[in-house]
Amino acid sequence: MTRYAMVMDTRRCIGCQSCTVACKIHNELPLDIIYNPVTTIGPTGTFPDLTLSFLPLICMHCDNPPCVDTCPTTASVQREDGIVYVVDSKCVGCLSCIMACPYGARQHNHETGTVSKCDFCKDRLEQGKLPHCVATCHQKARIFGDLHDPDSEVSKLVKNNRTVQLLGELNTDPSVFYIY
Amino acid sequence: MSDKHQNWGWMLAVDFFFAGMGGGMLVIAAVVELFGGGTRMSLLGNLLGPAAMCIGCGFLMLELGKPLRAWRVFMNPKAILTVGAWMMSVAIVSGFIYAAMAIPLNLIFWREWAILGKCLAVVNLVTGLVVATYPGVLLGRLKGRPLWVGPGIMALFMLSSLVTGCALHYLCALLMPVLGTLLASTLTPASALYFLSVVLVPVPDAAIWRVLPGGIAALLLLQLLLWSGYLWVKQSGATAAEAASAQRWISGDLSLAFKGFMVLGTLAPLVLMLLPVEAAPALGAVLVLLGGVTMRLLTIRGGEDRTFLPGEQKFRLRLPTGNEVFLRKNWR
Amino acid sequence: MSKTVDLNQEGVQVKKSACYFCHQNCGVLAYVKDNKVLAIEGDPEFPTNQGGLCSRGNSALQHLDHPDRINYPLKRVGQRGEGKWQRIPWQQAIDEIAARLSDIKGQFGAEAVATAGGTQRTDDWARRRFMNLFGSPNGFHNAHLCWIPTFMVETAIYGWCPFDLDLGNSRCLVLWGQNPGASGMPEMHHIVELQQKGLKVIVIDPRYTETASKADLWLPLRPGSDLALALAWLHVIIYSGLFDQEYVDTYCEGFEALADHVADFSPEWAAPLTWLTPDQIRDSAVMYATNKPGNIQWGTSVDQIGRPAGATMHARALLRALTGNLDVPGGDLLTGPSREFITDEEMEANDSLPEEQKAKQIGSDRFKMVTWPGYGRIAELSKAFWGKAPTAEWMCEAHPPSVFRAILSEKPYPVKALLVSATNPISSYGETNLVMEALRKVDFMITSDYWMTPTAALSDYVIPAAGALERPTITSSYGCADFLLASQRAIQPMYERRNDYNFWRDLGVALGQQEHWPWETVEDAYFHKIEGLGSGTENYDQFVENVRFHFPEREYSKFKERGFATPSGKVELYSTVLEGLGYPPLPEYVGPTENEIDHPELAEKYPLVLTTGGGFMPFHHSEHFQIKSLRYLRHEPYMDINPATAASLSIKDGDWVWIETARGRIRQKANLTNGIDPRVVFTQRGWWYPERDMRDPVLGGCTESNANVLTTTADKDCDPFSGAWANRGLLCRVYKADQSDDKEVR
Repeated sequence: MTRYAMVMDTRRCIGCQSCTVACKIHNELPLDIIYNPVTTIGPTGTFPDLTLSFLPLICMHCDNPPCVDTCPTTASVQREDGIVYVVDSKCVGCLSCIMACPYGARQHNHETGTVSKCDFCKDRLEQGKLPHCVATCHQKARIFGDLHDPDSEVSKLVKNNRTVQLLGELNTDPSVFYIY
Repeated sequence: MSDKHQNWGWMLAVDFFFAGMGGGMLVIAAVVELFGGGTRMSLLGNLLGPAAMCIGCGFLMLELGKPLRAWRVFMNPKAILTVGAWMMSVAIVSGFIYAAMAIPLNLIFWREWAILGKCLAVVNLVTGLVVATYPGVLLGRLKGRPLWVGPGIMALFMLSSLVTGCALHYLCALLMPVLGTLLASTLTPASALYFLSVVLVPVPDAAIWRVLPGGIAALLLLQLLLWSGYLWVKQSGATAAEAASAQRWISGDLSLAFKGFMVLGTLAPLVLMLLPVEAAPALGAVLVLLGGVTMRLLTIRGGEDRTFLPGEQKFRLRLPTGNEVFLRKNWR
Repeated sequence: MSKTVDLNQEGVQVKKSACYFCHQNCGVLAYVKDNKVLAIEGDPEFPTNQGGLCSRGNSALQHLDHPDRINYPLKRVGQRGEGKWQRIPWQQAIDEIAARLSDIKGQFGAEAVATAGGTQRTDDWARRRFMNLFGSPNGFHNAHLCWIPTFMVETAIYGWCPFDLDLGNSRCLVLWGQNPGASGMPEMHHIVELQQKGLKVIVIDPRYTETASKADLWLPLRPGSDLALALAWLHVIIYSGLFDQEYVDTYCEGFEALADHVADFSPEWAAPLTWLTPDQIRDSAVMYATNKPGNIQWGTSVDQIGRPAGATMHARALLRALTGNLDVPGGDLLTGPSREFITDEEMEANDSLPEEQKAKQIGSDRFKMVTWPGYGRIAELSKAFWGKAPTAEWMCEAHPPSVFRAILSEKPYPVKALLVSATNPISSYGETNLVMEALRKVDFMITSDYWMTPTAALSDYVIPAAGALERPTITSSYGCADFLLASQRAIQPMYERRNDYNFWRDLGVALGQQEHWPWETVEDAYFHKIEGLGSGTENYDQFVENVRFHFPEREYSKFKERGFATPSGKVELYSTVLEGLGYPPLPEYVGPTENEIDHPELAEKYPLVLTTGGGFMPFHHSEHFQIKSLRYLRHEPYMDINPATAASLSIKDGDWVWIETARGRIRQKANLTNGIDPRVVFTQRGWWYPERDMRDPVLGGCTESNANVLTTTADKDCDPFSGAWANRGLLCRVYKADQSDDKEVR
């Protein structure tokens, strides 16, 4: 059974925000909706002994998603392959899912009144293409694929590297892994 | 723009207040019905219980991004909000049917059915308790909101619902004879409101009215202690996020409102409830209601603090706020 | 892909286009139907980007049909800068401009007409062709700040500029003042891939940039002190015996003289000048010299340090030769110009410009390296050896500040017309106050641009320029590479926009140059350039579709058989070419343009060191501030300041602050960062506010946060070799802006 996951290689990420912009533009999002913020951590340390890294954020498409069961209308859905998305026609805009998500991955779309979020570009996946944020990254810092396929790049990366899941202590079991 | 309307707002706080208070009123009315030895709470109070829940629902619907689809919230049995919606619906219907039993009109054909009264009271007790508590359950489960997460908030919401419910019942009991006399003196027999004034008959003096202020005082003491304890636990809390969110209430931007809630909304009414001055408990009850609204508003504001990820706050802080000139251009 | 557009519908073609928001020219696939672009994405098969596309590239469709684009020729009515325009037909614009230029030529000579360009975004050989045929030697770009002085100095020393780095076989890379992590995405990717295979990276940069954070060694030197560092590296390499003895003995001239010359330039001498420790200087030199083969990647920073620039380039260039990293496998390659396709220089009609006109090139009396004296000498050597010369439009240009001064003072002679194409001089040229004065005063100015920039707003005519999706593109490093990549246009230009090639051609034809412009379209001209490749295709589009690239086989160590394109045939560590032009044959030390040692009184008033000019996403110079989805992510200018310094000035993160030099002051918000020395501040470049009133005097707030308000282009502050002015290593002071300032500027 396919389980989609993403690996963020923060050793490569340079915080250029190409993924942020590609997603916004190609998904035709309202201006203030950002699925893919890339934050800056640092420079930490005292000049000149410093470290700097960038953290690309995204919906974690958790294995234990707090946003799905909290939705009173069943608009918030998780597929078998792990992708969590919103059925727009059922959403009433109660914002419970936004309050439930520890990652800030969901946003209230003021134009439609409903909630939007990253859906791992599921329409593109059907056509055999990668999500916009993955395709556009010059650094190849975002890797996407089937975690349950032992030959896929994501599963090899997760297996062979030290990875971190953000807010792991909250038991959301994210399917986005960070290499640092 | 960065965070505007991305969290729950004041309308939900007001919804929680009215719904919780309504739930609390139903619980108290039910307890009195079942264990009060023949007395009932005032008709006005019993009507205002479910009415408050309706008002709460009204605010909830207004808060929705798509109010016309509000019926959809009944759809997911796994969601606390759905359970709450169903319970509240039952509570409202049951509450009104029960309250109507005190109206001396032939239209209310079930008003003499004592067994029905008891059964409805049981329903009201259960559903009222759920309605009084479920928002706290919901909030307590939101792992991403450090101020709320945990079992404590559930108790605080239940407590607030009960104390505000008591306070409003007390005021209603005081108000009923006053309202009845007022309406009777100003209306003609032909008007519908005259008819209402007939309905608002004075309630015989029941022991409950003497006990109620004491009960409210006890609940307020509990509120004072529980809130202090809650914030103390959060502030010395397991995570930095919890401590930071609690700090907003202790010494940060929400501390003034919180102190207002604790002093004017809890301590002062506690004292007033126990004073042997005639108008004091009534004033205290009003303060309790205001305190209840304040507490819900504070809680909702406190929920803006999320489990922010590294670097995230700085990123969001630097985004446009929405007033910038370039945003108004017809650019793409 | 657009969520709403079906790209599988009938009639959709896929065009192999290129992005041109910077000159990496990433490959872009454009999905086109009925001359409309439905969607774009990075081309997975294009070697530069392999499907990647940066934030600017992704905004292409928002750029293409943006409401603020200039779509029709505009003629000024009313006063300059009043903002009143009349839309006129293209041919009328051309005819009127031609008539005016003809007039000016008749009265003041062709040299009274100058052209201004920016970084490489257009077919500049076409611009030069026009100017040569017209008779004016006064074309210029921001070349002085961008690679060109380096190119010419290095060519003087070893016969070509070794800008083709053979990184695949390399063990060490020095990024000398370059930050590809914020400006050259494909290059950054390449570097990071090679690091995984063991490439060592040294970053020389005052700031802890994206690139510095991935480096093995970071040298946070004082801005503008690169010369001291380079001389100290030479010292270390020579006196620690780390040079390649064989290479030096066999292929280099002047080693003894060089060794003597750098005897005193020890790391201990350089330390207080560079703010590095002697160990840092020594260790980094050793790392480069012993991890061979190694590369030194050019970055704009050394072109932008003003007075010491030429000497620094010279010193830095010698490092490659001493270590034997020149034209060897894994080193920096001297490919020379292409012998297989027609280069840009061959399309420029340089022979049409009479000698007496060449002699009138403004600035050529003082700054020889990138004007006819220096270019002529180097072109001579180059043609003798390679058979071809570097591109003149870029390598042989009038000195921009001197042209602006000529407009104002009429010395050495009056300059009466300025044709501006693909640049916004108010933002990008040094000493903004000088530039603006000149632009207001010049008799006749036209601007060809995508947008109504502040410069366009002061022009007499504004010409609509077609952008990347509306043009074919040949990528060939300013016409100096031996390789090329070819891309086709996605659609014909929209509205009445024209390709810049066609603008110069039409203008030339209107001025009687008809016979010299046989190629009607850009494709025709391009096909002419590449015909010699023998690709078997019949037109340019076919070439793109079927062949697309030309990457000649690498020939290493050509010098073993042929020597170098210098008078002696060897690498001239002691440069006779520089000497012949009146410059020191060995790099002589001079301090940064403004520094605390040479200018103590200035340093008292302005105690902090300024560095500016570095790029950052998602903008490019002064572009893209009108693209809402980009501007949303970075809507205000931020300057970098160390938290300790900020605290001493009572400045908190996000406060508006003034940054002031002896030229003027600008306002930016404070970004407190540990990534910069407490004695240094960095201001972002390019900032203006296109949402504001575009009429004079507001002009889109073009002086409020514009880093060039702070810079100086006085002769004494410029590099004597090239006339390049300083963006880095100036003295400034910073102070908090108070509330009352808000009303002053808005």
